[in-house]
Amino acid sequence: MGVISTKAAATIRDNTGASVTEQESSGANEIEIRDLSKVFGQGTAAFRALSDITLDIRAGEFFTLLGPSGCGKTTLLRVIAGFEQPSAGSLRINGKEVAGLGPNARPVNTVFQNYALFPHMTVAQNIGFGLKMQGRPKAEVDATTTEMLRLVKMEAMAERKPSEISGGQQQRVALARALAPRPRVLLLDEPLSALDLKLRKEMQSELKRLQTETGITFIFVTHDQEEALTMSDRIAVMSAGNILQLGTPHDIYHAPSERFVADFIGDTNFLDVAVSAVTDDSAEITLPGGKTATARLPQGMRPVLGETVTTVIRPEQANMVAPGEGDLDGEVQSAVFFGTDTHVHLRLDDGQPFILRRQNSAETIEPEAGTRMGLLLSPGALRVLKG
Amino acid sequence: MAEAQESHGWKWLLCAPALVVLVLAASGPLLIVVAYSFLTPGNMGGVVWDFSLEGWFRVFFRRDIFDPDVVTLNDAHLAVFWRSIWLSLQTTFLCAVLGFPTAWFIATRPPSSRTLWLFLITIPFWTNLLIRTFAIQEVIRNNGTINTVLQWMGVIDTPIQMMYTDFAILLGMAYVFMPLMVLPLYAAMDKLDFRLVEAGYDLYASRFQVLWHVILPLVKPGFIAGSILVFIPSIGAYVTPRVLGGGRTMMLGNLIALQFGQGRNWPLGAALAMLMLIIVVGALVFYLRWVNREEGRNA
Repeated sequence: MGVISTKAAATIRDNTGASVTEQESSGANEIEIRDLSKVFGQGTAAFRALSDITLDIRAGEFFTLLGPSGCGKTTLLRVIAGFEQPSAGSLRINGKEVAGLGPNARPVNTVFQNYALFPHMTVAQNIGFGLKMQGRPKAEVDATTTEMLRLVKMEAMAERKPSEISGGQQQRVALARALAPRPRVLLLDEPLSALDLKLRKEMQSELKRLQTETGITFIFVTHDQEEALTMSDRIAVMSAGNILQLGTPHDIYHAPSERFVADFIGDTNFLDVAVSAVTDDSAEITLPGGKTATARLPQGMRPVLGETVTTVIRPEQANMVAPGEGDLDGEVQSAVFFGTDTHVHLRLDDGQPFILRRQNSAETIEPEAGTRMGLLLSPGALRVLKG
Repeated sequence: MAEAQESHGWKWLLCAPALVVLVLAASGPLLIVVAYSFLTPGNMGGVVWDFSLEGWFRVFFRRDIFDPDVVTLNDAHLAVFWRSIWLSLQTTFLCAVLGFPTAWFIATRPPSSRTLWLFLITIPFWTNLLIRTFAIQEVIRNNGTINTVLQWMGVIDTPIQMMYTDFAILLGMAYVFMPLMVLPLYAAMDKLDFRLVEAGYDLYASRFQVLWHVILPLVKPGFIAGSILVFIPSIGAYVTPRVLGGGRTMMLGNLIALQFGQGRNWPLGAALAMLMLIIVVGALVFYLRWVNREEGRNA
């Protein structure tokens, strides 16, 4: 069921004044950000929340800004929404420059972290608010409100006040309210952080369903890496006002470009190794214990022979073998049972720590502390980190 | 539970000091006023303990000097009532219109400087009412600040008569009672979640629409409290209308004072005071009912 009717989509298009064909072509950029900076305060007290961000967000994608608190992800979202104006740079939504425009002049709606539902209005009035402010006829407001109530399964609550419904229900209403005016882009500011785990899982799939059904571009801000990996089409990992890496969840997880990204997303082993040979896109390295292995190099990096570099490998990309038969040897320090898998904490012979994740079956035996074992690394899994 | 109930038995005694003060200082004098309004005026002021409805009768009617049986409506008294109510409503409205942006300004300052602004707003409260009123007089009298400046600038040739008009009283009362509107409004705005304002803008509302549909409904409790706090003292105001109105435009407070003073008709004064109380309570009940009904309609 297409929530965006052709008529409504056309209205939005008229507002933004861009050509129709450009809209319809798949892969067109919904948002184009160029050299965008945001500085709060002045002089010595100035704080650079965003520095020279350049970013394209494609039409219809589920895009996630991921990073720890204070990394600038919420600021970037607020700049896109129009609550903050950029200090420098350009921001185009659907081809139209919007820097300087207020939030009410942008075809963008926000789902706030604490929902920010109007407490003096009913659920239905909240959902219809945006359309009413746009001056749509009452019949259309009512029809869309009903449609939205059905979309988020809140028909029964239409006449309740926000204080009379649960947190999860408020979340749904906030979504419906932001979707009702049929924005080109929906901004979500950590919308699931206030929900308990079970509800959060439910809402994750709910969000994904709504995004697919509506076809609206979602920009999702979160500090939860798992949430980002499961929901996004693409992720931008941010730190200290910069985008460190931009890519699909698969890329970000398996080919982190920097130590920060590798460390922030999932569990990671960092191994300091010496380079013994360099080819076009990979390096031969000497592992602790003397064996050699091949590690992929990031683009544009050419380490010198003998240089010590940091390589990264995920805990599930190694297997336990008999001592001496693998690429690395180490001693088991502890094993933590997680149900589906077990995390084995090892100390390699040269003292570096290593975590191995092993999938459990009924027969597997927990390795005991003090046991020596070998580690066989999955071919092609090792990657050299930049810097 | 039983223990709590038991101890509850004597704990009310802790309220006794306050209750005694309230009964003696508030209810006592009120009862005396009620009693006086049903007595006969003494020749040199005071009352004679003879029951009479004359005081209440004189509130609304006037007897002919030569023939006490000829009765006419006392339109002078009614005019004073009407003017008092009207000026108090205007004062309340003016305080609301001027107080809203003031409170908004304070509420949107950084928390550290809010205290300073609130302090500035409350400073006039620390000054004697009479002195404040004379200060206003200094500004608006014929050779006062406004007229001098306007004449010096050549805007006007002859001074604008502002003293001893309803305008002067309105200005003075709005000035005197403004903090009573600003403070509850500020308290309401302080509790306002500014993300709701952002949500309003985000959903295509203009500045005016955000004000009308989001901010005003949410700070309504502040308006209600402020209106009550301004209206009640306005209707009984004595000093401000006396000084700025110069006795030419009389208000209820002045009329009552007149009966207890030069008029030497205490029962009439007491009846007028009671009537004022009835008006205030009536207005309050009416207002709160109306507010509640609005609330119910929105729910």
